[in-house]
Amino acid sequence: MTNLGHFITLCATILSAHAIYEDQVGKFDWKRSFIGKVKHAQFDTKRLIVTTHENIIASLSPKTGEIQWRQLMEDPQEHQPQLLHLDKDAVTVSGGKSRFYVRGWDAPTGSLLWEWPLVLDRPGDSFWLLQGDLLVHVLAIKGSHMEVTQFSVKTGEVRAKTRKIPETWVSGDKCVTANPYFVCVFNGQLFWLDVVNEGGRASSQPIQGGPDCNLLEFDGPKPAVLLVRQNSAKIVELGGAVLPHEVAPNAVSIGSSVFQLEANLDNLDKLVRVKSFDLVSGRESSVEIDYPLGLGGPYIVSGQCRGPACELLLSSTDHALTLVRLPEGRVSWTREEALSNIISVEFFELPVSDLEASIETEFTDNDVITMFTRRISTQTKQLVNLVSGQFGSTRDDFGLHRIIVVATAVGKLFGIDTLRNGSIVWTYRLPNVKPVMLLVQRTARHAPLPAQCVLLAQDVTTGGGVLFAFDPISGESRGLDRLSYRIKQAFVAPNEDEEHLKPVIVIGADDSVRVFPERGPKTVAYVYTIDQSLVQGYRLEPDGLKPVWNLNLGVCDLVGVSTRPVTERVHSQGRVLHDRSVHYKYVNPNLIALATLSEDPVHKSVLNVFLVDGVTGFVVYSTSHKKAKGPVHLVHSENWLVYTFFNERFRRTEIVATELYEGSIQSNSTVFSSFAISQLPEVKTESYILPANPVSMSVTLTERGITNKFLLVGTSSGSVVEIPWMLLQPRFADMPCGPEESCFPYMPEIAIPPEATINYNQTLARIRKIAVAPAKLESTSHVLVHGLDLFYTRVAPSKTFDLLKEDFDHRLIVLVLVGLVVASYVTKYLAAKKALRQAWK
Amino acid sequence: MSTKLQIRRQKWALDNTRNRSVAEGLAAPPAFSPSGPASSSDVSKKTDVSRLITKKSWDLALAPLKQVPMNLFIMYMAGNSISIFPIMMVGMLLMRPVQAIFATKSTFKMVENSSAFKQMFVYILGNCINIGLALYKCQSMGLLPTHSSDWLAFVEPPVRLEYLGGGVSLL
Repeated sequence: MTNLGHFITLCATILSAHAIYEDQVGKFDWKRSFIGKVKHAQFDTKRLIVTTHENIIASLSPKTGEIQWRQLMEDPQEHQPQLLHLDKDAVTVSGGKSRFYVRGWDAPTGSLLWEWPLVLDRPGDSFWLLQGDLLVHVLAIKGSHMEVTQFSVKTGEVRAKTRKIPETWVSGDKCVTANPYFVCVFNGQLFWLDVVNEGGRASSQPIQGGPDCNLLEFDGPKPAVLLVRQNSAKIVELGGAVLPHEVAPNAVSIGSSVFQLEANLDNLDKLVRVKSFDLVSGRESSVEIDYPLGLGGPYIVSGQCRGPACELLLSSTDHALTLVRLPEGRVSWTREEALSNIISVEFFELPVSDLEASIETEFTDNDVITMFTRRISTQTKQLVNLVSGQFGSTRDDFGLHRIIVVATAVGKLFGIDTLRNGSIVWTYRLPNVKPVMLLVQRTARHAPLPAQCVLLAQDVTTGGGVLFAFDPISGESRGLDRLSYRIKQAFVAPNEDEEHLKPVIVIGADDSVRVFPERGPKTVAYVYTIDQSLVQGYRLEPDGLKPVWNLNLGVCDLVGVSTRPVTERVHSQGRVLHDRSVHYKYVNPNLIALATLSEDPVHKSVLNVFLVDGVTGFVVYSTSHKKAKGPVHLVHSENWLVYTFFNERFRRTEIVATELYEGSIQSNSTVFSSFAISQLPEVKTESYILPANPVSMSVTLTERGITNKFLLVGTSSGSVVEIPWMLLQPRFADMPCGPEESCFPYMPEIAIPPEATINYNQTLARIRKIAVAPAKLESTSHVLVHGLDLFYTRVAPSKTFDLLKEDFDHRLIVLVLVGLVVASYVTKYLAAKKALRQAWK
Repeated sequence: MSTKLQIRRQKWALDNTRNRSVAEGLAAPPAFSPSGPASSSDVSKKTDVSRLITKKSWDLALAPLKQVPMNLFIMYMAGNSISIFPIMMVGMLLMRPVQAIFATKSTFKMVENSSAFKQMFVYILGNCINIGLALYKCQSMGLLPTHSSDWLAFVEPPVRLEYLGGGVSLL
C-alpha cells in the first residue's frame, strides 16, 4: 500500500510538473497559422472567404489579413476544393475522383450548417455549377457523353433525374463552366450547352487558333470564357462576339471592369502594374503597385470594387497572398503561405555582438594610443547601448534566442526569430527548385567567421542537383551551384578546414563523389543509401566510393528510417542498477533503424524492425510484429529505439521501447569502433499501449545530454505530448523496481495527462514534423512543430534545474544582503563605542 | 556557611601548628641520620616522577582505544539513514582521530624527557582504529564511492573511429 502511495507521488511529481501556468501562456511559445496556397476567394463586406489547395476553407480579415476562422476538410492528397460560392452562407464542394462533399458554412462564425456527400458510380471529370439553391453536377466522360444531375444544394435531394447527353465534343481537360453553360473547345470549335435549364441545345462557334488553345473560366457580366493561346487571351462571350481586347491569361473581371497584371519595366521600384479596362465604357487605366520585393510572380485570384476603390487579392508563385488597394496601388498585407509546407528546419545560434567581437581584436595592436582610443570607443558604445536599451540580434547567455532557418516546398527560405513571436527576419526565394535538406557547414561559434548553411535542392525542370550556400543569420547568398547531374545523397563531413568550414560531400546518381568546397579536407567516411528495400554501404575514399556491403530487405515497403541526431551527446555511459553496479550502454553512433511492412498470407501484414550498423552492415537487432499496420514512427537516440505502430489484432496503437546494453563490463571505454564487436549487445524490450494516434515523433536534445529525455509525440488530434523516456525504458526482469530505484513499475498503458501537452489549448493542424535543437542551457531544448501551423516552444524535461525560478525574488535577496552589511557595520561601530566607554570606567 | 568554613580552616591550622611544635620538640630516633637518607629520598622521588610520566603517557596513548566501545555504541545508535545527525556524528567520528593524529607531537610534548615511541605508536594505532570504524560506518551508510556506479559520471563518451553519412536515396 505504501509502495503504491510512493509510486503515485513519484508519478505526480515527475509527470505533472511540466505544465505551464496561466500567466506563462505565450511567454516562451508562439503559434502562427497558415492556410496554404489559395484556390478560390470570394469577398464579402467584412471578410474574405478562401479555399486553398490544403483543402481548407478560411475567412480572412480584409484589413489585416488575419485568419478569422479556419476549417479543415479532408486530406488534401485526395480531396481538393472544387467550388466556392459565397452568398449569405458559404457553399463549398470538395473532393476528388468519385467522392465529394457539399457543405454550407456560416460566413461570420465558420460553423458548419449542412453537409451531404456524393459518391459517383464511375470516375470522370466533374464540374460544378451553383445557381440559387440549385447545384448542378456535370460528369464529363471524354469523347462520349456527359451526365448532368441537379441537386438541391442544402439537402442533396435530386431535383431532376440524371440526364445523359451524348456529345462527342466533351473532352474533359479543355472544358470549363460559365454559368449557366458548360463549355468545351474541340477541333477548333467552341461548344457550349445550357446545363441548368432543361431542354437547352448545344451551340457551337468556330474559333481561330490551332489545337493548342485552352479555356479558362471568366466570371464576367455575361457568360463568357477566356480563350488562351500561348501567353495572350481573348474574352469570348457565349452566343456573342469575341471581344477585340487582348488580355493576359490572369485577367479577372470585377463588375464590368477587367483587371490584369503586367510587368512594369519602366519603374524599377514598382515592378508590377495593374491594368484595367471597362467592358461597357471602354475606359482604360493603369496603376503601379508597391509589390514587395522577394515575392514570386503574382496573379489575381479575386477582387471587389466599391465605386472607384478596388481591392485585389493576389497570389504568387511562392504561395504568398497579397491584398492590393486600388487606385493607390498600396499593399495592405502579405501572408507568407509557403510556411504551410516546410521541408527542412535548422536552428542557428546568433553571432556575438560587435562589441564582443571587438574584444577579440582588442590586444592585436601594440600601439598604446590606438588601444586606448579603441577601449574608450567600445565603452562609449556600451554606455550608449545600455542607455538606449538596444542590443540588437546578438547572442544571449543561454542560447534561447535563435534563428530558425526553414526551407519550404516552393523553394523559399525563411529566417524566423524564436523570440519576437516568430517574426520573419529574412526570406530568400529560389525559383524552380524543390528543396531536399539543409546542411550546416559552420555555426556562428567561430567569430568573426559568419555561419554558413547549404540548401540541397532539386531543379524542378531538369532534376539536377542544386547547392545554395547562404548566411543563415542574414539570409545573404554565398553562391549557387547548379549541378548537371542528379544527387543521390549528400551529407556534411565531420572534419573542418582551417576556416572551420565542414565540407559537404555530394554523391551523384552515378556514384561519383564531389566535395564542396573543393579545397576541403579529404575525408574517409562510410556512406549508406537506402533504395526502396536495398540498403547499400560504401566506403568513401579519396578516389571514390567503394561498395562494402549490401542488405536486401526483400519484398516490402520501407516505412521508417531513423538515425541518431549527429549533434547528440550521451552523458551517462551506463545505467545504475539497484545494487549500485553499472550496466553499460551499447552506444553505437553508426546504427540505422529501419522499419518495413510486408504482406503475409497468414498474418496480413508484418512489421519488421532492424537495427543495422551502417559501417559494417551487421544487423545488430531485428524483430517483427504480426498483424501490424502503419503509420510507423521510429525514433533512435542514445542506446535505444522507440517505434509506434497500429496493432490490428487488438485495434490499438502500440509503442515499443528497445534498449541495447553491453553488459556489466565496458569493452572499450576510450574509442568506439563498429568493427570491434565481440558479442551481440544485450537487448531489453518492452511494449505499451499508446492512447493516441501519433503522426510524428521526436526526442528532446540537450547540449551535454545530462538532462532526462522526453519523447515528443504529435497526435492526430493536434496536440504535442511529452512522454518521459523513464516511463518507457525497459525494466530489468529480475530486479526490483520502485521509488527507491527511481523506477516506475511496468504499466501496460502509457498515461497521457493533459498537462503533458506542450501546446496546451492551441490545437495544431496537420502536424508534419517536430524539429528539436539544444539550447546553451543544459536543461532546455527548442522545439518547432510544423505542419499547417508553426508552433515554437521550449521544453525542459528535468525542469529548469540550472535556472532560477521566474518568480525568484531578486529584490528581497539584495535588500536582505544590504541590510545585513549595514547592520554589521552599525553594530561594529556601536560595539567599539561601548568598549571605549567601558575602558574609561 | 562561611563561618563553618572558617572554623574548619582554623581547626586544621591549629592541628598543623601543634604537629609542627611536636616535631620540633622531639629528638631524632636512634640510627637516624639526617644527612644519609636525604640522597636516597631524592632518587626515589625522581623515579616516582618518571614512573608517573610513563603512566600518564600510557594513559594518553590508550585513550583512543578506550573510546572505541563508546564510538561503537554511538554508531549503533546513529543508524544508517542519511540525515543531518548521523552525518554530523560520522563527521565527528572521522574528523577527531584525524585531527588527533596530526596533533600527536603536541600531545606528547609534556613527556619531555623520554621519546615515547611506543606510546605514540599505540596512540596513532588507536586513532587509526577509530578512523577505520568511521569509514566502516560511512561504508554501511553508502557514502563511500566503492561502486562502479559512483564513477560513472566521470566516464567520458568513447571517441568514434568511423563516421557515417547518408540516408534514403534522393533519386
